[in-house]
Amino acid sequence: MLASIIAAGLASGAIYALVGVTYNTMFSTSRVMSFTAGQLAMLGGVFGSMFTLKLGMPVVAGFLLTLVCCAIIGIITEFIAVRPVLKSLDQHLYVLSTLAVALMIQQVAAIKWGTEPQPFPRLIGLGSGIWDEKFWLPVVACALTILGLEYLYRRTLVGRAFLAIAEDNFAARALGLPERNLRIASYALAGIIGGIAGFSGGELLLAFFANGALLNFYGFVPVALGGLGNNRGAIVGGLALGLFQQAANFLVGGIFSSVAVFTLFIVVLLAAPQGLFGGASARRV
Amino acid sequence: MVISRRGVLFGSAGALGAASFSFPAPAIAGSEPIRIGCLAAITGPASAPTQGFNRGVNFAVDAINGAGGVKGRKIELVMRDTQGDPSKAVNATQELISQQKVHAIWGPLNSGEALATTPIMARAKIPNIHPCVVETLIDTSKFPNAFRMAPSNSQWDDAVRNYCLNILKVRKLAVIGDTTGYGVTAVGASVAAFKKDGAEVVYQANIDATQPDMTPDMLRMKNAGTEAIVVWTVSTGMEALMFNVRAAMNWDVPFVGHPSLSSGEIAGLVEKPENWKKVYAIGYKSCSYDGSGKLPPRSEELVARLTKGNIALNDTLLWWVAGGIDVIELFAKAIEVSGSTDAQGIIAHLNTLNKYPGYFGDYTFTPAQHNGYPTDEVVMSEASTAKNGTFALAPGYS
Repeated sequence: MLASIIAAGLASGAIYALVGVTYNTMFSTSRVMSFTAGQLAMLGGVFGSMFTLKLGMPVVAGFLLTLVCCAIIGIITEFIAVRPVLKSLDQHLYVLSTLAVALMIQQVAAIKWGTEPQPFPRLIGLGSGIWDEKFWLPVVACALTILGLEYLYRRTLVGRAFLAIAEDNFAARALGLPERNLRIASYALAGIIGGIAGFSGGELLLAFFANGALLNFYGFVPVALGGLGNNRGAIVGGLALGLFQQAANFLVGGIFSSVAVFTLFIVVLLAAPQGLFGGASARRV
Repeated sequence: MVISRRGVLFGSAGALGAASFSFPAPAIAGSEPIRIGCLAAITGPASAPTQGFNRGVNFAVDAINGAGGVKGRKIELVMRDTQGDPSKAVNATQELISQQKVHAIWGPLNSGEALATTPIMARAKIPNIHPCVVETLIDTSKFPNAFRMAPSNSQWDDAVRNYCLNILKVRKLAVIGDTTGYGVTAVGASVAAFKKDGAEVVYQANIDATQPDMTPDMLRMKNAGTEAIVVWTVSTGMEALMFNVRAAMNWDVPFVGHPSLSSGEIAGLVEKPENWKKVYAIGYKSCSYDGSGKLPPRSEELVARLTKGNIALNDTLLWWVAGGIDVIELFAKAIEVSGSTDAQGIIAHLNTLNKYPGYFGDYTFTPAQHNGYPTDEVVMSEASTAKNGTFALAPGYS
């Protein structure tokens, strides 16, 4: 039982963590919580199944095409749901605009792809039982994504420009950084991370349109737990959420496990409103 | 000829007098087409049953019209696409009744829509036949015009219970469903009925259909000593995940329940084809083949007719097609016997049917009972044995 909790818990936790990182990536350059993060992950599974299973493409080609498609959806989100509301961030209109885009993505997926879960192919064919690839693949994907992001942010000029925009938008623009282009690039990057989450978790979650709403929700929890904009917090929060959720599934089962998850979530936020890893932000007065 | 003032006056008076007499009306009512309204989700995610039912409906209409119609009157279908949306179904119902002036309505084909449209049709007293399973849709005092030609939820429940207790002879059951309104209601009703019959429900749960791992619930069911798992959900993903976990656990417990257990989509979702064995889904005697691969004689005759008419059965269910044919024939017979398209006449005739031999089943309606499908025709099928819309009868039936 313990092995099963750890295997399935880490796998789903890694997917939640990646969705959390997707939220953060979009937030860092725009200060917008885009509720399309879960839908991008859902599309990762749907596109992956479509390219590799329905169209019969090789896994690598299907994976790359999936990432391209998710990146395009990320860019579209920036154009139609984020850019128009940036001037009035204090009114939180982005909640409405990004939720609207998320709903559109979900409905189009339901109509074009179908409302029943569709199979997702075995990608490598390695492992069985608790060592099945459907459990370790999301964890490996999560680890590689984090390594890639660390490299991007610490070793590349573009990554440092992202950090500069995230740190102080006005100062970065004053230095001549192309803020708009960097924001578009960050939404494309978020689309890619969401696509990786959905593709690597496809064997576990299947290619199912309803995964979008689920991942939107469970992906938001690690962001809130770990602190907004904090990727390390999102990773720790996501993995902890997955493990706790799976343990609750075993111990109390069914719908009560969701109740347990959100009870803990509320308790943590009451104790640490800024998130477990987020520092209290200074406010200029 | 001299035209006098008197002549003009007489002539005008005569013309006016003649004009005031009505000419005999042409016998329009006797030759006008019989208009049957169809409420069906032709597009959208819930369109699969419609595709099947429509093949039957169109086949029957073509056959009747090809043979000269009903007492010389052709049947005309007025089809409306509800897209599975209750609000669209309501609008279409009102249009069919008030503008299209249909004589009877077939559908809608899912309970969500029917819950919204049935009271509207009752107010208009329009004869209505539908296949929706929710119990409350049939109430002869509130909806004396509404007839059900397919089993209700409780008839499904009876068939599942009968199979578990009397054929599989198991006493310890796990009853599970999804977390939708349907899942919660169906599990509650099923548990109560099993307990009433003296069975022991050792595990009861509503599981989130998007839960990625079903191991926890399956493990709890096994530890509770479950001898059969009764499933009430339409989520094929959840079902396939449970079949895969059962195989991984080396557990040979049977699954019994909702027709979706036999959905073709499961074939792609199970890790191995054998994971789908020992799964018994609700089916119908008329659409189940025996050990020698033979359907009941009436169904064999239907399949031969459909094959001759180039009606495809490989991507749908036979009961949908057979049900579609039956509905049109029921309406046609009612109009033929009652002699008109008068709503009261059609309803009165339907109320007299006693084991009327349709292709899908033998229908019986009385003024006090509009659940027309016989419970003993509801049987269990081997879920993974689909063949041209039919299934193998589950083991244990004679």
